[in-house]
Amino acid sequence: MSTYDVEGVKQSLLERVASSSSPREVLKATEIRELYGAIGSLPPEERGAFGKQVNDVKVAVEAAIEAREAELESAEVEPLDITAPWDVNTQPPHLLPTQDGTQHPLTKELDNVVDIFTRMGFEAIESRQIDDDHHMFGALNFPEDHPARDGYDTFRTEEGFIPPAHTSTMQHRILKDGKAKLEAGGQIAAISYGRVFRNEDVDATHEHTFYQCEGVFVSKDATLGQMLGTLRSFFETYYGQALRIKTQPGYFPFVEPGLEFAIEKPASIGGKPGEWLEMLGCGMIHPNVLKEAGIDPTQYRGFAWGGGVERLVMLKYGIEDLRHFESAKLAFLRKFAS
Amino acid sequence: MIISVNWLKKFTHIDGTVDELATLIGARLVEIEGVEDLGAKYKDVIVAKVVESAPMEGSDHLNIAKIDDGGVRQGVERDEQGLIQVVCGAPNVRAGLLVAWLPPESIVPETFNAAEQFVLGAKPLRGVMSNGMLASARELDLYDDHDGIIEVDKDAAPGTSFAELYELNDYLLDIENKSLTHRPDAFGVIGFAREVAGIQGLPFQTPDWLNVLEATVENDGTGEAPHIKIEDPTLSDRFQAIVLSGINETAKSPIQMQTYLARSGVRPINASVDVSNYLMLLTGQPSHTYDYDKVRAVAGDDFTIRVRLAKEGEKLVLLDGKEVELDTSDIVIAAGETAIGLAGIMGGHNTIVDASTKTVLFEAATFDLYHMRSSQMRHGIFSEAVTRFTKGIPAPLSSPVVLEAVRMLQEYTGARATSPVVEDYPGVRQPITVTVSEKHINAVLGTHFSAEDIAELLGNVGFNVTFNGLEAVVTVPYWRQDIHIAEDIIEEVGRLAGFDTINLTLPRRDFTAVRPSDFDKLRSEVRRSLVRAGANEVLTYSFVHGDILKKAGQVPDNAYRVVNSISPDLQYYRQSITPSLLSHVFPNVKAGYETFALFEANKVHQKVDGATDEQVPVERDSIALVTTHAKAKGAAYYDAKRMLEYAVNSLGIVLMYRPLDGESDATYAPFEPKRSALVIDSKTQAILGIVGEYKKSVQKAFKLPEYTAGFEINPRELLASVKMVGIQYQPLSRYPGSERDVCFQVGQDVTYQDVVTPAEKTLAETGLITTLSPVDIYQPEDGTTKNITVRIGLISYEKTMTNEEVAAVVDKVIEAVTGATEGRVV
Repeated sequence: MSTYDVEGVKQSLLERVASSSSPREVLKATEIRELYGAIGSLPPEERGAFGKQVNDVKVAVEAAIEAREAELESAEVEPLDITAPWDVNTQPPHLLPTQDGTQHPLTKELDNVVDIFTRMGFEAIESRQIDDDHHMFGALNFPEDHPARDGYDTFRTEEGFIPPAHTSTMQHRILKDGKAKLEAGGQIAAISYGRVFRNEDVDATHEHTFYQCEGVFVSKDATLGQMLGTLRSFFETYYGQALRIKTQPGYFPFVEPGLEFAIEKPASIGGKPGEWLEMLGCGMIHPNVLKEAGIDPTQYRGFAWGGGVERLVMLKYGIEDLRHFESAKLAFLRKFAS
Repeated sequence: MIISVNWLKKFTHIDGTVDELATLIGARLVEIEGVEDLGAKYKDVIVAKVVESAPMEGSDHLNIAKIDDGGVRQGVERDEQGLIQVVCGAPNVRAGLLVAWLPPESIVPETFNAAEQFVLGAKPLRGVMSNGMLASARELDLYDDHDGIIEVDKDAAPGTSFAELYELNDYLLDIENKSLTHRPDAFGVIGFAREVAGIQGLPFQTPDWLNVLEATVENDGTGEAPHIKIEDPTLSDRFQAIVLSGINETAKSPIQMQTYLARSGVRPINASVDVSNYLMLLTGQPSHTYDYDKVRAVAGDDFTIRVRLAKEGEKLVLLDGKEVELDTSDIVIAAGETAIGLAGIMGGHNTIVDASTKTVLFEAATFDLYHMRSSQMRHGIFSEAVTRFTKGIPAPLSSPVVLEAVRMLQEYTGARATSPVVEDYPGVRQPITVTVSEKHINAVLGTHFSAEDIAELLGNVGFNVTFNGLEAVVTVPYWRQDIHIAEDIIEEVGRLAGFDTINLTLPRRDFTAVRPSDFDKLRSEVRRSLVRAGANEVLTYSFVHGDILKKAGQVPDNAYRVVNSISPDLQYYRQSITPSLLSHVFPNVKAGYETFALFEANKVHQKVDGATDEQVPVERDSIALVTTHAKAKGAAYYDAKRMLEYAVNSLGIVLMYRPLDGESDATYAPFEPKRSALVIDSKTQAILGIVGEYKKSVQKAFKLPEYTAGFEINPRELLASVKMVGIQYQPLSRYPGSERDVCFQVGQDVTYQDVVTPAEKTLAETGLITTLSPVDIYQPEDGTTKNITVRIGLISYEKTMTNEEVAAVVDKVIEAVTGATEGRVV
């Protein structure tokens, strides 16, 4: 056994830290150097255990130093009367000039979208920002290892949670929650909106973080014609003018048939006839998705759609770079003073 | 994927212009990302005949050729026989040869899509006039060939357009692959043509050879075929092979075939490889050839081709010479016990075909798409073949492909079958039938198709439709393994007829109004108030770099960690919004903004919050603000507090403040306890959040101006309080009110709240309408006391109060305050 009183050294160092005004100096103490030096002089079989002991001392001292530093830092801080309306000998605080205040153009547009859909009879539910594989994929008819999952470039956490790559991550919940209403003779009509994430490099037209809005409608007699009618109606309200639409087949495992939906670029944002804007993906909800939520697909049918929100904002103002949205740059934000 | 319109036209009629075709395909099949006019690239290339060719004097490799272009090119210098002089460095130029001539002023096709096009001229070369050039395959952008100029291999009169001769007056459709993940059939020109016929309402005629599903080949039996064994039927549905002898591995395929490969983005190599690629492009079925003798040598006594999973620690040198470590989920092809190929991805070097190969083993097989997908990712090999395997190749397809390959290889390489086709076929499947009623189809789509319409639309693309009363019984062709249920058939009908032809309606709904949720309304309200208060709303990332957590004094262990991010800035879920806001203060100050406030309403995630009933992490809503003044001195705390009160007072919430007393929450971590307060709803006593200035270390780490403070509150808690409290209305009085200012001198440690609480309590007992507001807070420089001046407002419901009555109330207030604070009135 070594003859070093490791515990004693530790206590002495901790005491020195606790009373020091420059605690980091204690790390240079000769005792520590001696302890490390001693490791080599021990028989090899004792070195491991002793080395660990010495290291524990160092860790404990470092933790104490950090605590002491915080204490010292805080000691210099003057407390203030947290209940007062202003500081002693000063004037009442002013708010900032109202004309400098701005709402983010994206949340403003999202308000607008949510407003139209609620008036059309759709409940609005904010989407989750961390979810599991089941809601993101499994419940939406994406078999495990299905190639369609690749297209979503999902992030993963250590625990296997997923930052959702689409607001459809709420679809299963909306369906489950609406089941009773449906079976009581009603309909499910809801949108989910919020932030989604894709693991990709950022440039002027790509972001790893963006916003989507998703819609779900289920009834006894929903049709694809109704879906296209509903979507056109939304965009016509949104742009305040009659619009032409077109579709193309799209593949999304959770709908069947699946379509991509485009509108002719409205004149109000500088569109000319024949210019098309791809707006969203949509389709009739796959029977497996209804089944998974306990809804009988032989009794009920539904449609769903989802699209990005940034695009609407960019088109509206002619914003040139997607990266501005999450930049928190006042130079950008203050362009949207109302 | 590139699809040639001319190639499609070999299999189906196409109406209208290429733009109309692209629009129709876009609406009914798949997105087209672009259309290239291939004809433009070859418009000036002319087939010419070399009439004489002689070496140029003084040059060791140049020849002077006289060519006959049939006299079609205008404005070129000609000799008395009408021939054109071209200097040519190719070793194979000779009299009698038909060549591709690039006349002066034409663009070299190889440079057609380059940043700078190369336009030919009529220029002397070593003093000898050369009018344009004779082109090699490379200059024609067909393939890399160093053997010299291209030798036209079709009969053609001089002056014929090269583009016309080789069907290069073509348009190329650039297809967006992603939306065809479920359609292996459309990854072949024939399958694509079938769809193009279908969406035009035309029946598709499958080429006869593709309908032959029995692989019977005439052979002399001199080649011994291996035994085929798929060890696990989940790895492969079918594996077919045949022995071909007498193959000439240096033979070239016809130029026509080469041009179809080249325009589809596949480089022609030699006839043997080209046939395999050509059939893959046509049908979607990849194939592979092994050197037969090498396979035998590797196999040793056990001449069995096995399809199996790789073994632990197994390695394989691939065709490209790279050695890969195989994973136990990789499928390999083995001869005997030894791997000779990474299935579907790349063959092994040990059985490579080379110029001396005389006998080959030709393979056509299908492999499990999920294994293909993971092996492709693992080894990072992305080829045309594996792209197709990852879509799931249908097993019946391999027979016609083997037969056609045998035919073509015989024609182009002289190979002949010396064994029958041998196979293992554990994945034999019965055709899928789906029953769907006409009513169901129309109900889902909102259409009025008749039974005949449905049968015709589906029949055009190879479905067999019979009717059992009103029920359509649809037999799905083998190449549509993606069709299983009625909805799949409904999609086909809608798509083939065109979703754009469907009548638009709106769902029938009742008149029940839907209101935004209370939470959404509250958040909007707070947001609007903060904007009115001059703050700027921001959105910042939900993920932060570990450094941001550290700078803010938060513990990474409490943050969900993202493990596969491509950027180090996206390491952790943020635990609160404040650190994100703080990281954006300095850049804005630096950009010249002196006074501003940033706020964000979003979600945050802390591991300590645990999981919901659904076993997903609890999410916290949060609203945070930071306000700064780059040049000011003093206590920014009160600015942040003022903004917070402004935002919540309009909701009817009256706030109280309590010192932080060891409460630990990651949200509080950046705040300096001595200059921060917990924000309390005075009615419910609920903690709504925190307001304050930041720790010195935090200020330093984020380079914050000294005068910076902020708050972070939980809007869910705020909503709960708003629901409990609401706006408290007091009826107005008909009588005028009075105001009195009172200045209390109290000890310097007495807080403003210490003065206000007893005063308000006393006022509340009077039954009057009362107000109490601050006027001044003064502390002499050297004093141990401070003066707090408040204004008391009193209104009676019953009368105009007299001076005496007012004084009586004020006296009571003074008594209460001085009693509680040991102060005095000055």
